[in-house]
Order: sequence, then C-alpha cells, then structure tokens
Amino acid sequence: MLRLILLSIVMMVLWITILPYMMPSKPKNKYSYSDEELRKKAMQVGMHSIPNDYKKFIALVQTPDNFITKEKVTLGKKLYFDTILSKDRTIRCASCHMLSQNPHNQQQFLDDITHPDSKTDCMVCHIKDQSGSDRLSTAIGIKGKTDPYHRNTLTILNSTLAKYQFWDASSKNSRQSIAKMLQDPYKMDLTPKEAIIRLKNDPTYKQTFQKVFKDGITFLNIQKAIEAYLKTLLTRSAYDRFLDGDDSAMTPLAKQGFVDFIELGCKGCHTGITVGGQTIQKFPVRNYNHIIDVTGSFRKEYRGFDVASFDFNFKQYQEFPFKNKGGFMGKDSQKYFRVPILRNVTKTSPYFHNGSVFDLREAIYIMAKYQLSTELTEEQIDEIEAFLRSLEGKPVIFKELEQ
Amino acid sequence: MKLLLINLSVLFMFISGVFLIDILSIPWSFIRIIEFLHSFGSIFLTIFIIFPFLFLHIKSSWYHSKRKSLSGTLFGITFLLLVCSGLYLLFIGNRGGEIFGEIAYNIHLYGSFILITSLLFHLKTWIIKVPILQAIVLLIVFIPLQTYAYSHKLTNIKLENDVSRYHNNDWKNSATCKKCHPEIFKQWANSNHRHMADSNPYYMVLENLAEMDKGKEFRQWCMGCHNPSAVTTKQRETTHFMHENIMPDPLFVKDSQTLIQTYKKDPKRLEQGVSCIACHRITDANATGNSSYTLDLTKRKKYLFEDSTAPTKTWINNALINAKPTTHKQKYLNPVYKKSRYCASCHNEFLPHSGKKVVSTYDQWEKSPYNNPNDPKKHKECVDCHMSYIKDGKYIAQSGRSTVGGKIKKDIKTHYFTGGNHFLSGLKSKVHQQQSIELLKTAAILDLNISHNKLLIGVTNSGAGHKLPTGAADFRELWLDITVTDKNGHTLLSSGKLDKNGNIEPNSIIYNKVFGDKDGNPVGLLFWRYEKLLKDTRIPAGKRVQEKFALPKDANYPLTVKVKLNFRIYPQWVTDIVKVAYPALPDPPVITIKEMEKSFD
Repeated sequence: MLRLILLSIVMMVLWITILPYMMPSKPKNKYSYSDEELRKKAMQVGMHSIPNDYKKFIALVQTPDNFITKEKVTLGKKLYFDTILSKDRTIRCASCHMLSQNPHNQQQFLDDITHPDSKTDCMVCHIKDQSGSDRLSTAIGIKGKTDPYHRNTLTILNSTLAKYQFWDASSKNSRQSIAKMLQDPYKMDLTPKEAIIRLKNDPTYKQTFQKVFKDGITFLNIQKAIEAYLKTLLTRSAYDRFLDGDDSAMTPLAKQGFVDFIELGCKGCHTGITVGGQTIQKFPVRNYNHIIDVTGSFRKEYRGFDVASFDFNFKQYQEFPFKNKGGFMGKDSQKYFRVPILRNVTKTSPYFHNGSVFDLREAIYIMAKYQLSTELTEEQIDEIEAFLRSLEGKPVIFKELEQ
Repeated sequence: MKLLLINLSVLFMFISGVFLIDILSIPWSFIRIIEFLHSFGSIFLTIFIIFPFLFLHIKSSWYHSKRKSLSGTLFGITFLLLVCSGLYLLFIGNRGGEIFGEIAYNIHLYGSFILITSLLFHLKTWIIKVPILQAIVLLIVFIPLQTYAYSHKLTNIKLENDVSRYHNNDWKNSATCKKCHPEIFKQWANSNHRHMADSNPYYMVLENLAEMDKGKEFRQWCMGCHNPSAVTTKQRETTHFMHENIMPDPLFVKDSQTLIQTYKKDPKRLEQGVSCIACHRITDANATGNSSYTLDLTKRKKYLFEDSTAPTKTWINNALINAKPTTHKQKYLNPVYKKSRYCASCHNEFLPHSGKKVVSTYDQWEKSPYNNPNDPKKHKECVDCHMSYIKDGKYIAQSGRSTVGGKIKKDIKTHYFTGGNHFLSGLKSKVHQQQSIELLKTAAILDLNISHNKLLIGVTNSGAGHKLPTGAADFRELWLDITVTDKNGHTLLSSGKLDKNGNIEPNSIIYNKVFGDKDGNPVGLLFWRYEKLLKDTRIPAGKRVQEKFALPKDANYPLTVKVKLNFRIYPQWVTDIVKVAYPALPDPPVITIKEMEKSFD
C-alpha cells in the first residue's frame, strides 16, 4: 500500500514535470498562405470588402423601395442628430451611436474642448473614436433610464448590411430597428403619432419631407430617411484594402491573425461582408462549469515543474463566462444571439451582450474557449488581435452624397 | 518497510531543504517548487508519518523496553526544534523585523544537519544490515531533479531572448504589493507617480490632443514614460477603467481604491501608469531621456503561485516569500535606483521629430552645484530631496519598516515623490500636499530694496537642484505679486494680480518658458509643435535674478512694499480646458512660496 502511494506520488510529480516539455514549443503553423491564397480563401468563405466606389456602393445597399438620394441622406442625417425624436427632447440617435456630424473636421476635439459652451460628457473625448456606439456597458435612454436587460449598445456602423439586428435578432432590417428604437420606452419613447405631429410643426422638416417624399411626413418616411443615412455609414479599413489587392495594407502579424481566424473557425460565424451579423448562434456552446481545468499545464509559460497551472474550478454555476447582469438570455431565452459584427470591434468595447468584458484580448480568449473549445496561446491572441485591429476603419465619404 | 518510509520522509525533508541553500545556486525555476514541496510536504509527512511513528517508537522503547538511546533523544529534540522553527518561518517568516526570524532560520539550517547525523548514529546497526541497494533507490528518486536542473535552466530564458512584447500577465498589479508593504503602497497610491496616466485629467486631455494633432502613433511618445505597461503590451492609447456605466472618479478617491477594486473584480486587467513593478524591474537606465530605460519582466524570479490571484495560493506565495525573502529583495532592488540617471530616463524629454528639448530637469541638475560627486556633503541626488521626508524645511531621515514585520531601517526612501505638483496628489492626501508645499517653500528666497527711486526685487533659487520652475515649465506659473502703497495708502504700483477669470494679468513678472511654433506663435497646449523658444526666464539652481521697477518721483514716503512669490501648478486657462472633459476638477490654488513686506522711509 505504502509503496503504491509513494509510487503514485512520484508518478504524478514526473507527469507534471514532463508534460509541458512534450508539448511543441510553438503551436505549429500548419497553415501558411501566400497573400493571394489568403485573399482567395477569404473570398471563398464569403468575406468581401466594402466598396469605395459610388456605383458599387449603390448596388450593394440600395433597395427598390428606398432609393438613395442626396436629399434623403441629408434629411436622415439631420434627424439622426436631432433631439426632436426623443420624448423629452434630450437625446438623439447620435447620443448612443456616437458619430461626429462633420467627418471632415480633424480638429473636432480641440474645437469641442475650447468652445465656451461645450458639452461636458464622455462625448468630448470619445466622439473622435467614430465608433457608432456609446462605449458604455449598457445603453442609457431618455431620463437616464438604462436598458432593463442591461444590453450593450451595438455599433451602427455597417449595421445596415447585417441580416439580423439587435442582440436577440428580433429585427431583420434597419428600417424595422429604427421604428423599434424610436418607440422603445427605454430609448427614445416616442409614438409614431407624436413624431409626425412634431415634425409637421417644424416648417423646415415639413418642407424637406415634401421635397424628398411624395406623401410628405409619415412614420415610414421617417424610417426610410434615417435608413438611407445609416446605409451610408460603411467603413473601409486595412482589411478591405488587403482584400482589394493591396498586400502591404495588413501587417504580417495581422495576416497571420487572418489565417488563424479562418483556420480556427472564427469565420464560421463572423462572416460575410460585415464579418458577423449574418447568422444567429448559440453562446456559449461549451460549458466548463465544474470541470477541473488542466489546460493551463499545456502552456509554455508554465513549463518547468509548476503546479500553478491547475484550476480546480470551484466556482458557482454560471450561464456565461462572465456575470450575466440583467439576466438577458438571448433569442427566446435560449442563449441564441445574433453574431456581432466584428468590423470596428477595437473601438466598441466593452464586449458581449451586457458589456461585461472590457478587454478585447479576454473577449478573444473567451470566444475561442467557449465557442471553439480552443485554448489560445498569448501569441495566437496577439495575432488575432492584430487582425481585428485591421478591421478598424472610418466611414467612407462619397462625394456624390456630400452637401 | 515502515522504517524505510520514515527514513525516506526524513531524507526528503533534508534533501529538499539542502537544495534551498544559496551556496548550491540551483536554478530558480526549481527552487520555487522545491520551497513549496519542502515546507508543505514536510508538514504533511510530519503529521501523517513521522509523528505517529515517533509516538509508537518512543512508547515502545522508553516505557516498555526501558532502552535509552542518546542519538534517539538528540534526534527527538532536534526534530521538535526543527518543527517549531519551520512553522515559525512559514507562518510568520524571516522578514527581518524581529530577531526570532533569524534565530529560527539558523536553527532550521544547522539543526537539519544535526538531525541527519543523529539519525545516522541512531540507525548505525540498521544501515549495516540493509543492503546499499536501498540507498541507490533513494538517489534515483532525486537524481532526475538534478539532471533537469542543468539541462533546462530558467523556463523564461527563451522568452527573454526574443521578447518583443509583454502580456497582461507579465505585469503585476501594484495592489498585490500592498499586503506586505502597506505604508509604501499608500504613499505611492496618492502620489503623482501613480496618477500619471488614466487618472490624471490633464494628461488624458493632452494625450488625446496629441493624437488629434500628430496621429495615433504619437501617443506612444507620451506613453513611454506615462504608461509603460500599455506601451509594452502594445496598447495604442491610455484608457481608463469603467465600473459598469460609470467612470470611476480619478480625482478624489484615496489610496488607489479604484485600482484595488478593479483588481479584485478583474485581476487580468492591465494596470495603467507607473506601477510598482514598472520602476522596480528597471535593470538599467541612461540619461538620454524619453523613457530610456531597460525593463525586464519575463526573467524575474517568481516564487510559487506568484501570478495566482486565488486567496489560498496567494497566502502560500506570501508565506514562501516571507520564509526566505532574499530573492524577493534582490529582484526588485537595483543600485541604479539611487542614481539620478535612473530618474533622468524620464525627466529629460525631447521632441522625437526635432530633438528639441522640452524638459531637461536632469541636465539642469547635472550643471548645478548639487552634482558634486567629489564632495559628498554637497552632492545631492534626485532621491535625496524628492524621496525624503521634509519637515520645517529640513530633510529628515525616516526610520521605520518598509515591510510588515520587517527590519527597522534608518533611512527609508519615502514614496510621496514630492515635487512641485501639490495639487493632484493633494486632492487625495493632505500629507502629500503638505510635503509638496514644504518642498516648494524651500525653493526660493526673496530680497527687496529701494534705491534711486527704483524698486529692486531679487529672487534666488536657493533650494532646487534644477531650474525654477522645471518640468513642463510652460505649464507652470511662478510669478511676483507686487503691491507698493504710499503714505496715504494709495497704490503706486501693482503687478501680478489675478483677473476675474483667474488668469495672471498681462505684463506681470512670470518665471517660465514659452514655446513658439515655426511661425513664432505660442504653442498653447500643443507643446509638441515647439520650434522656437519665445521666452525663458526660469531661474537656474543657486542663481539670483533681479527685477527693477521705476517708482514715481513725487511719491509720498514712507512706502510699503508687499511682495509675494506665487506658484501655481497649472494656469487657469489650461484648467478651464481640462474641466470640459472633467467637470469635477477644482481650480488649482495659488501657493505663496515667499512673502515679504517692508517699509521704506
């Protein structure tokens, strides 16, 4: 008996010692593509670039029931930045989906901060992010009311190209979403009737609506005008330039991250022209509750006889890899979520449906572990982080739509 | 078999203990594990194997067989002593504060050899009987450890050679240092070195302005000194913490509670700014400036569970450090830390695109009379003033403990980082404010005289080892507030008053420098546009400057002259701008460094 105990102790010690050395020192990059191959592969899985050519842009976004015209976009932009559409006239679309009104002004920050009656809120500094989101955990609507489910504000950028809208995919296009947001008691809280009355009382709006739409001010036309503006909020980034054939646009690290992104399987959900937003998926796919976690011992950092890498996981049962404040459980409470758009993900922290994770690296780690059952190494996270940075871009400005 | 197990246990304790002795210099990656196995393994073996055996053994031999054995008794006593000293080392530690730690350490070290000797004598007959084979078995158990020790040295060596960046887990959160160094932590937590990045409103606004003006990459220039952890983890900008939807207050929260709370909730988050480890893992520095220091985080020797955040593991880690703290001390202290060039790596700044010097505090010190290595009495390094406790204008060596239970040291370097900025640290701690103001008051002396109808005011930089003011001197205001009244109380001369917006009225005597851009216009906040120096009236160390004012010829004597030498850390117009982003920011007060009132007949 004693001999057995002794032997087992020795065996355990030896196992802990030897195991890390048996692991390959670097995860083998089984996949290495040339730039051309990578581009081809990306196109095959449905990843496309956002056009900077007006004709292609129109072909991409225009629908027969809502033609994009300069006047309509201008009207939509005016509504987007106007507080008229909120019940107490305090907030506007741009309050949560922050964008600057004049994208040409490079000195916006200096102007804001030196202007005598400049606004004193987060916007002063964060407006130049051009993130189309509010950078908060959860959205704040009229009278400072926060979302009851504590849901995080999604970015408005590129969102018109997504197949589904909202975290629970409850809306299929932006026009529908605009209507919902305007009427949501925790957002703008405005009835269609009231919206029409308000706009009709404003002579400039009345005139412009008459000019743009045959039937003047209707709730549908308000939606259409704003939708037309949102459709112009498409961003181009290093990634798009790479897909268009510019090999030098992405750094080697970002390209390696792109390869990881495709080969690890991220592209399975985060796909399409928007790199996400096209499907509804379960999250988390894997449940690690009460599982003794020895994966750490495979890590290079712990090499050399270290028992520190074990996690006995004596935690409380958790639905999600983070505290689910607000108790939101996705579509039909089945933990199904619309896959978020990864374009501009670097400037839309915090992450996940209730904004619990502030760090992009941690979000990458969680996604790989819980969706793909892969424990990423720090190097792999570096690469994927670099790739995600290459998705960061500024809204494309089309001369044809400039006032 | 039972006997073999007992001997194996004792041998395990002994050999694992011997491995820990410094002379053997076994690679650190093994020491840290062995230390853990030695201490906790010994407790386990003692309780479950050795004590039960000793109990039965003593009972049978003393009471039943009435046998007496000198070596046995010696073994028993030594073993008891070793258990006590071992427990003392593990639970209280050899922290240097009390003599018992040292005694326990020596008992444990030398006692173990006595123990083994007495055991050998005790087992004299048994050893002869048993074949040597068993001894070989013992060796086999431990030899693999030895061979590993030499074939794979430090586990982090590979990383060290081609390290291009750090990750969050390489950086250690300063909140972890608090447990054993609470006083030093508190001093640092309210100091300006803590509040240089995410919690400094002025810095955050300027970093954002830098991006607006020169592009995102340019932030790295600021961050090199202000935020080394973010630079080395390849972050592109300084970010602030968020607690849900609320940005934690950066101005009034004392003792870095925000940092501590965030660390508790999310230990993986990176601490921004200058943390404990950022300075204490600098291995080399030179005086060039713009963050010219060498960091080494990956090669540092970690005790077992040093990176863990679980309470039990942290406790074990602390116990292991306290039991044998030499390595811990060595890895966070470096002789270069007392040298001024260490500070110079950041307190010399120049523009990366033109090489123009923006801040040259170290260069000024180098030329000053305080840099006098030949005369130790006159020679003063940066730390002699800025990391010393100051009372009534004198530097007093602080004696006390830097570690809980540690040795009482005669001269602890305080971590107030006392300097001109009394304001931001003063919002959090009155001690810091008082220290800074005391320091400011030692900096200059005033003298005044009237001759030939001229008022002469002299200002001497008497205490600072650099120009007055230094640092970002275009944002510092040191000026003369002068009032001259005649016999009837009429004001003859007035200068240096504040206007209704809080700005110093024009044509006052201000000691500062003003940067101009390439067209010769003042740069304002955008100081990286500096091309031409428009004005430099700073007072070099030990020098006196004199101001002259003509008085009316028909003045009614006697005249009363009131002169104040005032200091303000940020001009009002700068604070007004920063307030837009941080509405809670109060206005920095005006500090009167010296005041003088004199009548002339």
